[in-house]
Amino acid sequence: MLISYRWLGRHVDLEGTTPQEVAEALTIHTAEVEGLEPFAPWLADVVVGHVLECDRHPDADKLSVCSVDVGGAGDGNPLQIVCGAPNIAQGQHVAVARVGTVLPGDFKIKKSKIRGVESRGMICSVRELELGEDHSGIWVLPDGVQIGKPVADEADLRDWVIEIDNKSLTHRPDLWGHRGIAGEIAAIQGRSLKPLDLTLPATEAGEAYPVRVESEACTRYIGLPIDGVRNGPSPVWMRNLLLAVGQRPLDLLVDLSNFVMFDLGQPNHLFDRRRLSAEGIVVRQAADGETMTTLDDVQRSFTCEDMLITSGGEAVAVAGVMGGEGSKVGDETGELLLEAASFLATPVRRTAARLGLRTDASARFEKSLDPTLPEKAAAHMVHLLRELQPDIRLPRPAGDAGSWKDPACEVQLRCERVRSVLGAPVEDEFIRTTLTRLGFGVSGEGTLTVQVPSNRATKDVGIEEDLIEEVGRVYGYGNIEERSLESVLTPAPHDARRNLVRALQDRLSGAAAFHEVMTHSFQSEELVSAIGLRDEPYVEVVNPVVESEFRVRRSVLPSLIGLLELNRRNRDEVRLYEIGKGYRIDEPNERGEPRELHQLALAWIRPRSGSERFGESGIQLMRGVVEDLFDHADRVFVGWEPGAREAAPPWAHPGKWLTAGPTEEPHAVVGELEPGLAVRLGLRGELDGEITLAEISLDGMLSQPEAQKTYRSIPRFPGVKVDVALAVPESLFAEEAAAAIERAGKGLVEGLELFDLYRGESVGAGRKSLAYHVLLQSPTKTLTDKEVSKFFSRLEKETESLGGELRRE
Amino acid sequence: MSPEELGQVQAEALGRVKGAAGAADLLGIERDYLEKGGVVAKILASIPSLAPEQRRELGSGANRLKQAIQKAIEEREGELAAEELERERKAQGFDPTLPSAQPRRGSLHPVTQVTRELEDIFASMGYAILDGPEVELDYYNFEALNIPKDHPAREMYDTFWCDRNNHLLLRTHTSPVQIRALERFDPPFRAIVPGRCFRNETVDASHEHTFHQMEGLVVGKGITVGHLIGTMKTFLREMFQRDLEVRLRPGYFPFVEPGFELDVRCPFCEGGCSVCKRTTWIELCPCGMVHPFVLRYGGVDPEQYTGFAFGLGLSRLVMLRFQIDDIRHLMGGDLRFLEQFGC
Ligand SMILES: [Zn+2]
Repeated sequence: MLISYRWLGRHVDLEGTTPQEVAEALTIHTAEVEGLEPFAPWLADVVVGHVLECDRHPDADKLSVCSVDVGGAGDGNPLQIVCGAPNIAQGQHVAVARVGTVLPGDFKIKKSKIRGVESRGMICSVRELELGEDHSGIWVLPDGVQIGKPVADEADLRDWVIEIDNKSLTHRPDLWGHRGIAGEIAAIQGRSLKPLDLTLPATEAGEAYPVRVESEACTRYIGLPIDGVRNGPSPVWMRNLLLAVGQRPLDLLVDLSNFVMFDLGQPNHLFDRRRLSAEGIVVRQAADGETMTTLDDVQRSFTCEDMLITSGGEAVAVAGVMGGEGSKVGDETGELLLEAASFLATPVRRTAARLGLRTDASARFEKSLDPTLPEKAAAHMVHLLRELQPDIRLPRPAGDAGSWKDPACEVQLRCERVRSVLGAPVEDEFIRTTLTRLGFGVSGEGTLTVQVPSNRATKDVGIEEDLIEEVGRVYGYGNIEERSLESVLTPAPHDARRNLVRALQDRLSGAAAFHEVMTHSFQSEELVSAIGLRDEPYVEVVNPVVESEFRVRRSVLPSLIGLLELNRRNRDEVRLYEIGKGYRIDEPNERGEPRELHQLALAWIRPRSGSERFGESGIQLMRGVVEDLFDHADRVFVGWEPGAREAAPPWAHPGKWLTAGPTEEPHAVVGELEPGLAVRLGLRGELDGEITLAEISLDGMLSQPEAQKTYRSIPRFPGVKVDVALAVPESLFAEEAAAAIERAGKGLVEGLELFDLYRGESVGAGRKSLAYHVLLQSPTKTLTDKEVSKFFSRLEKETESLGGELRRE
Repeated sequence: MSPEELGQVQAEALGRVKGAAGAADLLGIERDYLEKGGVVAKILASIPSLAPEQRRELGSGANRLKQAIQKAIEEREGELAAEELERERKAQGFDPTLPSAQPRRGSLHPVTQVTRELEDIFASMGYAILDGPEVELDYYNFEALNIPKDHPAREMYDTFWCDRNNHLLLRTHTSPVQIRALERFDPPFRAIVPGRCFRNETVDASHEHTFHQMEGLVVGKGITVGHLIGTMKTFLREMFQRDLEVRLRPGYFPFVEPGFELDVRCPFCEGGCSVCKRTTWIELCPCGMVHPFVLRYGGVDPEQYTGFAFGLGLSRLVMLRFQIDDIRHLMGGDLRFLEQFGC
């Protein structure tokens, strides 16, 4: 909202303060000031010129060559200026932008030649100075202005504009006009508000103007007839104030209506009464499909949720939003109906939102305005109009209908409570004076009985804490001394999941050299379709920012899959992980909250090595990372199971995936990226790589018992290291070969490590060679050669029983 | 052999030792003089054919010769070893400007880094660290925070709704965890809640529909505005490692009363910069005294207990800390961004 500093001066004496001080005071004590700017600063540079001569341009019919006296603002000689305006004439006082002056739009005036004639400046129109829309001719200033002086002073346009953040006024319906803001300044700076007559003058006798309210959403409707009005231009002081707050002056009646709204914060409307039915006003809900053309010349269609002002059955205004074109005031208007009303906030907001028509009026009604304000606004309007046109008449009493109640209320305030909440030694007397200055009625001692006036009682002030805020903000939060909380000696509750998350992050971002990412919780249509997860049940956002991103993720891993292509494009090797949440709408709790899953997802892209050498396959490396995480987090790992082809998750290669933990909710799944998905994601050809993914359930990890790390004594007797190779059929799993070695060792195998996997001619077709380092060790004695050779002969038999052959190295 | 002749042999041997260029030369000298069939052995072999008095003389002379050569060889070995070390020290060909070899490393997301920093500061002051759901009920996100249906303040939160009945939504702030915490813990307690929040906003360099916040909540007997100011100052001192001026000004949030905006004096300038938009103040977080309605919704008696709450903009702090000029990077998952925050 824009506030004019000069306008404030109509309500409070600003002697001894400055716009800067006022803006600062408002920021610290009332609401956030977002900007403080001089009004139309270029007007300080544009000067009054006197047109001494005005001749036709020798080479252009529509141009005039003028000699303009700018007095002390020039070098003593008149300026020669070429002007294209039709209304330019000798003897006029005009606004001159000299060479070097910068006009709105960064338009710098330069010396120029126009059709061969030198021009040293510009005579400005109202629009060029951003003082109105008129561009039909130059702005002719009234006589009596001083030549050479800034137009800002001579046209009385010096002002400061204070911009207040609307959001910080959400709860202050009383601050949506200049008088309200002036009241704040008065209270903060200890000034007094100038009196303002807000009582409605007596009307002529007779029957009240007929007003009927049928909608509950209209709590009060005042319709006051005014006769003998002459429309025309509004006074300069009013136009200038309206300009300062960004309003475009139009004519007296429109400007007056606006002025009252920006002055008191009460929206109002003026109808041309001859265009209303003699039956008066009925406020009612619209019929579905009812239409009316609003003042902005758009035909609007309504529903039964919209409230209309009607006359003789026809809509004449949208309640609280905008008037109708058919009944608007014009040059000929002499008989008015002044509307000042109270509408409930929510219906007005809904209608304004539905019509896409947020107006200054609707913005105010949305804040829940004081229902006693309409009569004050009507009175203010009549007083202002009567000052200009003393002979206006109020031919009959106003119609005043509606079920409004005065919201003024009483709140008890304990002075002790003020001190104990603020933590500051605020004196009783300060509390009393502050509240009084802010317009509250105060009585009592210690525990005060506070009368909350109607303009503060609609929404803002209703409980003791609200009054504590009033006192606190005027006292100044900066004057409250800081205090330390007393120390708490009990430790904060242990949070197993948070500790787990930290452990995982430390390991992954540290030793495992993965990069942590955070991705959006939305997964796009494109992504879930590519993976084949489109038809899963999702939490769906009704109003997404991007149309295709309405699904809230069930799992984190697909989000990482969505990052593969981007990162592979820039890097040969990519290691990413994300710890986040997935939501399952198909598993809600009794309150309808979807089930929340805590997950870790990993993705690893590696350049393909060419040969499939042992110990370097992506799955093996990823398994190693996962097992290491369980170990690092001190959780027992249950071991891998080969994944069944038909049960593979859609992102995984059906023949290359593994799972650990319960089938329905595994603790961990690792797998290669599904080849078709790789193609769909553009991860073949140039961007080809070995891509391995993993998904870990943090809940699953936490459900596992903690792995106790306990000391084992260092062996006292030396072991014997031997290397063995088992040439076995291709179909035999490594696990079975390892089991054979264990059996042959009869409890002496202390260490077993697969170090080579070989296929080739020397092994034979359909066979592979698995080579192991084996450590044989006894806790009770040094092993003899005989015991070692017994191991070998047992192993030979075991290997043969597997259909293989033992090859000693 | 005369003593003179012995002397000559010795001089010749010591000369060779002195001229030895390496271990091989010294081995040769040992072989020629000291080993089987060497010069010393031959002298000794000639002894039995001599007269008895000559025998003793030549015997002891040969022994002295042997010792002298041995000693010389040992000394020369020491010299040669020292020369070898000196050569190693003088070796050329080292290029001190070759680039460092980088160990492979990962990274923690910058949001995680700043979150951890704040968690550690608050944990050391006795705060519990809590978590809450991102898909939230209207009840916790709005209603119990004193923002009933049709409250105009709802417009300040551009909400993502998850059903047509406006029952479920993506939380617009971490504040719903205030109610969840009040339900769960008996006062006094203090807690922080880091987490992601959502606002229906079009994404550009300075706007994101997903951002991170950290809620703070302290409830106890006799908690005042003074405690709120003290707490925020302490936290800022820990975070920026120096004292920073703060100011509270009125701010409207329905779940606090009184409510404030907390500004901190811009740590990056004196007299205005682009970070503080030339105002020298940075708007840091909304905060206030917990509204009595909120305490009551959480089952706490506002006559017995008071409290304060604050909502730090984590994403904003991260951007300030690392001077990130485009908020989209935070959720963008681009390695070229993430690698810059290596551990
Ligand atoms: Zn700054």
